[in-house]
Amino acid sequence: MLRRLSLLVLLFALAPIVSADDTTDFGVRLAACAACHGKHGEGVQGAEYYPHLAGKPAGYLFEQLKGFREGRRVSTQMAWYVRFADDAFLQRIADWYATLPPRTRGADTGAAQLTEERRSVAKNLVEHGDPAHDVPACSACHGANLAGLEPGVPALLGLPVDYVIAQFGAWREGVRNGAPPDCMHDVAGKIPADDIRAIAVYLSQQSNSDGVRPSPAGSFVPPQACGSLPHAEGAK
Amino acid sequence: MRALRVASLIAVPFLLAALAVGFFLFERQGGLAPYRIPEDSGRVVTSDAATLARGEYLARIGDCAACHTTPGGTPWAGGRGFATGYGMIYSSNLSSDREHGIGAWSVDEFAHAMRHGVSRRGPLYPVFPYEHFATLDDADIDALYAYLRNLPANASVPPANRLDFPASSRSALVLWRMLHYRPQAQSPAAAREDRGRYLVDGLGHCAMCHSAREASGALAEDGYLAGGRIPGSGWYAPPLDAKQLQRYSVGQLAGYLRAGAGDHGAAYGPMAEVAYRSLQFLGEDDAVAMARYLKSVPARPTRRTEFILLPEPPRQQAAVGNGAEIYRHACADCHGKDGEGKAGQYPALRDAVAATAPDPINAVRMVLYGGFAAATAHNPQPYSMPPFVQQLNPAEIAAVTNYVRETFGARRSQLTAADVEAMHGIVLD
Repeated sequence: MLRRLSLLVLLFALAPIVSADDTTDFGVRLAACAACHGKHGEGVQGAEYYPHLAGKPAGYLFEQLKGFREGRRVSTQMAWYVRFADDAFLQRIADWYATLPPRTRGADTGAAQLTEERRSVAKNLVEHGDPAHDVPACSACHGANLAGLEPGVPALLGLPVDYVIAQFGAWREGVRNGAPPDCMHDVAGKIPADDIRAIAVYLSQQSNSDGVRPSPAGSFVPPQACGSLPHAEGAK
Repeated sequence: MRALRVASLIAVPFLLAALAVGFFLFERQGGLAPYRIPEDSGRVVTSDAATLARGEYLARIGDCAACHTTPGGTPWAGGRGFATGYGMIYSSNLSSDREHGIGAWSVDEFAHAMRHGVSRRGPLYPVFPYEHFATLDDADIDALYAYLRNLPANASVPPANRLDFPASSRSALVLWRMLHYRPQAQSPAAAREDRGRYLVDGLGHCAMCHSAREASGALAEDGYLAGGRIPGSGWYAPPLDAKQLQRYSVGQLAGYLRAGAGDHGAAYGPMAEVAYRSLQFLGEDDAVAMARYLKSVPARPTRRTEFILLPEPPRQQAAVGNGAEIYRHACADCHGKDGEGKAGQYPALRDAVAATAPDPINAVRMVLYGGFAAATAHNPQPYSMPPFVQQLNPAEIAAVTNYVRETFGARRSQLTAADVEAMHGIVLD
């Protein structure tokens, strides 16, 4: 019994090594991605726009890759890279980035600062939302630690300011579309532009210094029924 | 009065000559026959499982859905736009919708459109490769018809073409046909004799991209598979002939067609789409037949295809300087110190099309934007090339491209920063 147990332990201990070899090998194929997103999806220092990918939920990453291919997300560059990739390959890419350790540092936004007043507005929106205008807190879906939720909700820590602002614009204008009902389209339309900027700067300054991974599926229940959140409260 | 008589003495013979030439040209494009849409003969095409499977295979090899689907849109509903020298042309709905698709067409009408380029909507623009499909035999036309008729109906209406006058008039198409269209004899015998040629010239319509074109956009008579800039795409298609394909064995070339990649490089640009949507589904026998035929096509003398080439030397200051050094830092890790590549991963640059082609645009675009090879059944996890547009400025890109073309392609290359800037921009369609 003990021997069998120790064999099991040994197997578990070996598993990451085996898969690490495998992932290094696979990652070599993604040189095109690395140019903007970093060799291990950690982002590129000084590239102020491109988001990091490492440790985001595989389901989220897969949906985004498919969205670029099919035009639900509009990015000429991304469409260029994924347009002749089938689902199996996109899933493999998503899985690879999802297994990598999340980036721990904040965004490279040296210049972006908030006044104390703007900062507290942003913090309040992130943590409590704006119930008067039916805006949920970011943390309600992305987790109290903003580290995301498996399988479909990404972390919001340390994203570049310009990237976050651009996403809000894209949701509002229908250039980025989630599966219906598209919660982020609704949310983005209810937040004033100035507050979006404050939220983006605030989020960019949040680092994930402990390398926290997304919360496991079902560990909390988001308040809104979104197409990408089959397990949300309202979807039941 | 006298002046009038003199004028008519000159004008009448001139008009008669013009009429004669017009009549001759009209007869040469087939006379009135192409414009008579046949009545439904009542012939019924069987649509048993084997015929449908055959039709699906043929539709894939013809890559029909690639043009008749918008990116991310409903398959076969049409509407994909093609930028031509005359304006935008949108593909038609091929679904079985009776009003907006081809659901109300008889097989006779379908065969007529495929072979003569005229449907109930009038003459079709030559973006539709009917000159090539004219060689299809009856069994293949029937199978395609059966397959298309079994597709779900979709009532989408493609956008109206946006063409400049006079191309916007369908009657201009009659003139086009008089000048450029020669009806081909449908030749099932040739199909039996050379399956590869039948696929290359027929359904495969390889010549649409790989043949040289006249300034009018028409396929050049002496430009069969001679290579040239693909209209509207910003890519150069290489010649397909014995000389160009010398470095491939038949087996290697067949493997490349099906995988979208091989020992001598990966398909990129528009060819990656062909590999992804069409050629990966080729049966092995058909792939070998195509490869064998392509390797037998005699090479033609290189044409002066002016519109693809840069202005003649002397150029103002071509960037050469640090090309070798940039190559060593940015390229050599994957493509090798001597451009030898790494088998199965990174293409060799020595003798690669991008290095040897008269048109430098493929090399520049690859350096600018990189890309992924197509994911196919035979190459399910392709490698990619990173973009350098953020890391290298246009002068550096010109320098490294010149270095690659001169060193590995034996090609005099004098690109400047301005040339590279003129090739900026990702072209998705």
